[in-house]
Amino acid sequence: MSSNIYKNKKPVVFFLIPAFAFLAIFLYYPFLQNILNSFRVINNLGSSAKGWNDPWFTNYVELFKDDNIRTALINTLKMIAATIIGQLGIAIVLALMVDNIKKGQKFFRTVYFFPIVIAATALGLLFNIVFLYDKGMLNQLREIFGATKLVDFKDNAHAMLTMMIPVTWQYVGFYFIILITGLNNISDDLYEAATIDGASKWQRVRYISLPLLHNVICTCGVLAVTGALKVFDLPWIMFPKGMPSNSTWLTGTYMYYHAFESHNVDYSSAISVLIVILGVITAKIVNAVFKEKDY
Amino acid sequence: MAGTNIKTSKKHHKISFGMAGIYVVLTAWALTTIYPLFWILMNSFKDKKVIRSDSFSLPLGELFTLDNYKTAFDRVNILGAYRNSLVISLSVAAAVILLAGLASYALVRYDFKMKGLLNSMVVAGMMFPAFATIIPVIRMMNVIGLANTNQIPKSLLAVILPQIAGNLSFAIVVLRGYIAGLPVELEEAAYMEGCNIFQLFFKVVMPLCKPSFATIGIFSFLWSYNDLFTQSFFLKTKPEYSVTVLLSLLTSQEGTNYGLMASSVSLIVFPLLIVYLFLQKYIVKGLTAGAVKG
Amino acid sequence: MKKMLAMLLTGAMVFSLAACGNSSSGNAPAQSGASNDSAPAAESPAESEPAAEPSAGPVTLNVTTTYAGEDTNAGNYQDAIAAWQEETGNKINDASASSAETFKARVISDFEMGSEPDVLFYFNGVDSNPFVEAGKVVSIDEIRETYPDYASNMKDGMMGASPVDGKNYSVPVNGYWEGLFVNKSVCEAAGVDIPTADTTWDEFMEICQKVKDAGYTPIAASFAEIPHYWFEFCIYNYLTPATHNILPGSVDDEHGKAWVNGIGDMKVLYEKGFLPENTLSATDGETFQLFIDGKAAFLIDGSWKVGGIESSTDDIDNFTVTYVPGKNDRKSTDIIGGLSSGWYITRKAWDDPEKQKACVDFISYMTSDDMVSKFASVSATALKDGVQVDESQLTSLAVAGLDMVEGATGMAGAVQDQVTQEARVPVFNGMPDIVTGKADIATAVSDLLALVAEGQ
Repeated sequence: MSSNIYKNKKPVVFFLIPAFAFLAIFLYYPFLQNILNSFRVINNLGSSAKGWNDPWFTNYVELFKDDNIRTALINTLKMIAATIIGQLGIAIVLALMVDNIKKGQKFFRTVYFFPIVIAATALGLLFNIVFLYDKGMLNQLREIFGATKLVDFKDNAHAMLTMMIPVTWQYVGFYFIILITGLNNISDDLYEAATIDGASKWQRVRYISLPLLHNVICTCGVLAVTGALKVFDLPWIMFPKGMPSNSTWLTGTYMYYHAFESHNVDYSSAISVLIVILGVITAKIVNAVFKEKDY
Repeated sequence: MAGTNIKTSKKHHKISFGMAGIYVVLTAWALTTIYPLFWILMNSFKDKKVIRSDSFSLPLGELFTLDNYKTAFDRVNILGAYRNSLVISLSVAAAVILLAGLASYALVRYDFKMKGLLNSMVVAGMMFPAFATIIPVIRMMNVIGLANTNQIPKSLLAVILPQIAGNLSFAIVVLRGYIAGLPVELEEAAYMEGCNIFQLFFKVVMPLCKPSFATIGIFSFLWSYNDLFTQSFFLKTKPEYSVTVLLSLLTSQEGTNYGLMASSVSLIVFPLLIVYLFLQKYIVKGLTAGAVKG
Repeated sequence: MKKMLAMLLTGAMVFSLAACGNSSSGNAPAQSGASNDSAPAAESPAESEPAAEPSAGPVTLNVTTTYAGEDTNAGNYQDAIAAWQEETGNKINDASASSAETFKARVISDFEMGSEPDVLFYFNGVDSNPFVEAGKVVSIDEIRETYPDYASNMKDGMMGASPVDGKNYSVPVNGYWEGLFVNKSVCEAAGVDIPTADTTWDEFMEICQKVKDAGYTPIAASFAEIPHYWFEFCIYNYLTPATHNILPGSVDDEHGKAWVNGIGDMKVLYEKGFLPENTLSATDGETFQLFIDGKAAFLIDGSWKVGGIESSTDDIDNFTVTYVPGKNDRKSTDIIGGLSSGWYITRKAWDDPEKQKACVDFISYMTSDDMVSKFASVSATALKDGVQVDESQLTSLAVAGLDMVEGATGMAGAVQDQVTQEARVPVFNGMPDIVTGKADIATAVSDLLALVAEGQ
């Protein structure tokens, strides 16, 4: 970064303007409107406001009083933990493994990708049938192994786990691809040099792959926490409306619910503002945490 | 750790114990990702009546039917829809690769005052839900005359522009991580040889990061291809339909026709996978070629 | 009440699902020569509207409808517009889509931005409020000032008046009813009689108890996701067809009490164990499957479910539909039903002299007696002359539905259609808490009413 090439800062504008012009027009400006909308009364997505809320910040007061928001935040926190440990952890292990094998790299790279290309409606149906109470795949399996009582995987006790497993599974491939791309960027020369110096396989992973992957892992961390904050499609299909008894809300599903089900678009706008703020803060935390690490 | 590296194992034509373990784990995970796709394909050949009650058996004998596909092809121009989808998603992927590449290069290599703010803005941009931003976008498209024209190119462009913006944030975040991992010495060497700053980007950074650019290109393509929400606001009449819109209209959200859903998903996913498998090499090569020309 | 009923019955139900495909090609050209008054209705305007003589040349109409996807009439609609285009030389840009929430948002935003279609087939309840309030569609009365015979084959009282001002803006085609679907084999295995027009609510409770004792689930319903149908009928049980559609003023008035008592009955259903064990965690799709698979005996749902059941089972004769047993002043034969969508002409198209006549012509074509008969499928119509049905083309379930409606003694619309989605939250989403006793019924109802008042 301190290189002399980049002391002259004039070209920076030309690099940044095209992308940020797009972002400004199609994301930032519309989202400013969305912030304004969170102070207005809007019943249908697309219909004009019926005036301002009275007082104008009503929705934000409501955010603090809303029990479902609290549930959603707690569940989303669990989901963040699950994505970091589950998705990212599994993805790192898989990526390092695939990077160290000779045959079948392409095969695994392709098939790990599958869950991302399948529409959530289809995955939702599949998982609903797997977890079905009377009698889905899991309950049938349990019966074979001698269980006599059906387990309701969607009741209060099991719901969060039943939701987190498919969501975690679905995105492992996504992080896997990002990580394996990062590994491919590492020059083979480095590994060869290390091998000649007598480094073991584990040592090469520990002292070459992981440190050089550091930036990419940090990126994945940011994507994982922000992804957990906004995920809604698969959870919504398996657990619509926070079922059972408002216990499975996530920030993403709750926002979707208010935009499309309860027709409380202004409140949904307020939730989206909350999500964006939380996203920026958690991303900063992730960056800070990963930067401290010294490899 | 056994310490047997790839080269020695190759020499001795035997696979170490550790290596076998790795293959077992990788294959186990592969089974979980292949099965759902297989399940969907299998059910797309079954009568819709049995999908919920008998979804795990093979579509053999009496269970086998092509009805779900007949319905999907009935009365609709699915080839035109594939063409529209391709135009949209290829444009989005190409634009995202170029714009995000330029922006993330600058965000990594340069130090300037607004950098922290811009980085946060990029992360924020990733968080905006499409349904919070769509209405002002539609309004703009109406003003500049791209929406509701019944002209295919304009309608496609109306989808492409917001989709580029929607994928940029993610692409910048990912590319930033990759470019930061490049050793700056290579750029310095090229600079010494007289490359200007743009040549540095196109002749050094882009070729070095070609797998990274391919990765974000593929993701942008996919999300654009699958993004039913934005498409359904701008692609309203039959000639404008994309594959995703067309098939979503066959299987309404409230519908219980799981057979049609399975065949729709197959029709969306499998052409994509086949094209991807055949073109995998060329995707990466094409990117390199483009980079060298630039 | 008798009048309402008479109106309903003349506008009887048509079950022409099976017949649609066969008759579509033959019926379209027959339209002008048909023995009804709709064809003249379509042609007579020429006399009163000289400015819009056909000499203006072919017109292109932008049309948006919900006849798409799994709608049983998607095919009929495509045939009809093809025939109309051929007959008139006009062109239609069809932007129809399934009536998902995204589609509704698109329609509303199109009106906001002035890019609305010329002709729209859409809901006539609260969903239409935004564009009716903004004066962006033309009322039937205004159209009739220029085209006196417009929709003259329909009963004005049944056209589905706007909740905004009580005026008619749309011409309905097909409507809906709600009834008690029965899985016969479950009833047989449990040794109970299938409920009939004479079965009372208390007898129905006894039947449910026997079904439960026999090891089956009596009622397939997800109170977590879709408590809507049972809400409607349980409240109906404390009201009559004449009073069911009046929203309570407060939780303490006559209607408010009916609501509290009705929801109380839903709680009883839950406490007696008549619902699936996982009714508070299952989706509606999962509980419906219990009914199809012969694990549950009864299901309340709408006329649209006839097609859903037909396409989910190989043994359609194992299913029937009958009246939801009633109590108090509501007879079991008093049903829920109505017409919830219709054809609108937008103000933009009406003010365009080139398009005005084509719009009227198109809607008259789409709402002729023949066309409505073809579209009505499993639902009610507002036709003055009613329609003829060929029962031999129908499944036994569809015939049972037809019989049920013919024997009805009264009909009311679903009262929840007057409550916006936002206001429904305390009762509908709060249902799990209500039936488990965690939330108070009266509080939930008064919360709902407060939200209704706030929205006005």
